[in-house]
Amino acid sequence: MKVLVIEDEKDLLQGILSALRQEGYVCEVAQSASEASEKAGLYDYDCILLDVNLPDGNGLKILREIKAKGKTDGIIIITARNSPDDKVAGLNLGADDYLAKPFYMPELIARVSAIIRRKRFEGNNLVTFHEITIDLPGKQARVNDTPLELTPMEFSLLVFLLANKNRVVSKNAIAEHLSGDDADLMDKYDFIYTHVKNLKKKLTEAGSKDYVKSVYGLGYKFMA
Amino acid sequence: MRLLQVSLRGSLLFSLMMILVSIPVSFFTIRALLNKEVDESIAAQADQFMQHIQSFEYLDDLETDLQVLDKLSSNIHITPSNGEIHTNYRTLTLYDSLDHEEKPYRRFESGVVIKGKPYKLVVRMSLLETNDLVKAIGLVQLAVSVILVAGLLFWNRFLSRRLWKPFYRTLEQLKAYELDKNEALPTEESGITEFNDLNKTVSHLAARNHEVFAQQKEFIENASHELQTPIAIFQSKLDMLMQSPSMTKDDADTIMELESTAQRMAKLNKNLLLLSRIDNEQFLSKEDIELSDLIENQIRILGSLAGPTQISITTRLEKLRIITNRTLLEVLVTNLLHNTVRHSPKGSEIIVEITGNRLTVSNSGSGQALDLEKMTRRFQKKSEDHNSMGLGLAIVKKICDNNNYLLAYTFKGGRHVFTVSFVV
Repeated sequence: MKVLVIEDEKDLLQGILSALRQEGYVCEVAQSASEASEKAGLYDYDCILLDVNLPDGNGLKILREIKAKGKTDGIIIITARNSPDDKVAGLNLGADDYLAKPFYMPELIARVSAIIRRKRFEGNNLVTFHEITIDLPGKQARVNDTPLELTPMEFSLLVFLLANKNRVVSKNAIAEHLSGDDADLMDKYDFIYTHVKNLKKKLTEAGSKDYVKSVYGLGYKFMA
Repeated sequence: MRLLQVSLRGSLLFSLMMILVSIPVSFFTIRALLNKEVDESIAAQADQFMQHIQSFEYLDDLETDLQVLDKLSSNIHITPSNGEIHTNYRTLTLYDSLDHEEKPYRRFESGVVIKGKPYKLVVRMSLLETNDLVKAIGLVQLAVSVILVAGLLFWNRFLSRRLWKPFYRTLEQLKAYELDKNEALPTEESGITEFNDLNKTVSHLAARNHEVFAQQKEFIENASHELQTPIAIFQSKLDMLMQSPSMTKDDADTIMELESTAQRMAKLNKNLLLLSRIDNEQFLSKEDIELSDLIENQIRILGSLAGPTQISITTRLEKLRIITNRTLLEVLVTNLLHNTVRHSPKGSEIIVEITGNRLTVSNSGSGQALDLEKMTRRFQKKSEDHNSMGLGLAIVKKICDNNNYLLAYTFKGGRHVFTVSFVV
């Protein structure tokens, strides 16, 4: 799966690339608007991460170019200008998702994964990890043939962890993913601990191996 | 007291004093002048009389004639006297038997010698006519004074109003001036140097203030924007550190603390941006929103999170439709609710009510009343909780101010009660 990362901040780019590659994505890079439109014009990507503020032009222009060519690449806009107007403008131009800086890497990966699945496996959108199968549109999860009775929170949690499999996902990132702005209201570590514990219990009771590993107090890692 | 009243009151007082002083002065002056005139006329009459008498001195029985004369004449009396009499004038009131009333007279008294015999000559003259004259003059004077004073007052008022008009206009403009809304004060030429100066100074001051304000706003927005990318880099590096297989428990603790700090920065930044955007009126689109639906929705989300804290939320919601910006209304409700949840002790009850056009959110809390003005100031932190940014209520206040909603706080029966009165 090929991802084009258009980002002019070298340090951030490095972080994004390292995280995506860990999840097995093949990444290409563009650090300017001209380079970006050239690459996006020449090749097809499963997903394009597009920073709106580029030194030599606005990312939204590139988005228009891509859409004008009738390309179906999934596009996620990344911007430091977290304003509702920008968001609406971006989505209206045909972007698939919108992510405001700063963001957690696991969040970015989950969004990339969601978009690629939606684009690639229209209708039959099943994620499989060993004996676990997740039907994303149907919001159903199974272990072998045993359906799991998951709460919406637990389902989101499972999808999130699975999108970031083999990587450590911090509790902060999970809290933000599950509850957004409300994350700071409660003792989030308690809250996440409870949900993870319940999820693990439901998975193992249905006959799955325990794939959710706790990494010190920091977070969790979903791995075989 | 208003400026016009002060100047008016001053001239009014002066006019009244002048009238009060001038009336008796002129009365007595006229009286004295008239008396002098009457006296002269009486003296002339007496002289004439004496000349006549002198021409009759050859008569033998003049003495008897004088007696008859004394009896017949009403204004001239001549009687024998035995002492020396000084010439004098007096004003006196005598009874007029014809008209049956008291009448004022001027009386002249003098000693004369006729045929070697001393006589007392008294000549009197009625003052009735001169009194009428004094009265008439007094009335005319009073009328003139009253007209003068009234005219003066009226003129003064008219002139002052006209003169001070530019001043009051400037004052009105200053009162209506809002630093965050108006750019500059419109200035008008008034034709009066001082007012033009005042206007120029005031509008210069306002423009300068607005400029500083705008710069500050822009600075906050730019600073917040520029901070987003470094924080994103910071977080991405932390993520990389986390993936390191050689990470120890201590490393993990440090990374977690750093991540929480980054989150705080991000949140702070986001709220600052939000405040700055509300200032810049970037939330213009309005729609018709059912507040009770919006609140129920928010509470549903909150409920799933607030579970472990054992805080219960009771709602009594009437229907209330508001036409406003959805994002801002959501932020307002969320911040109010979050603030309440955050400051509620474990196991307490939060009550959310809509009655009429008022939304009330109350919680039991530490047992003392708080200062709303302080609470809604930026970065006024009360709780020790690091997640509280001290911007939540400042944002609520800002939204209320911008939409003319009224935010009120009371402490009643151990409960902190926040009320927002909406404009429907």
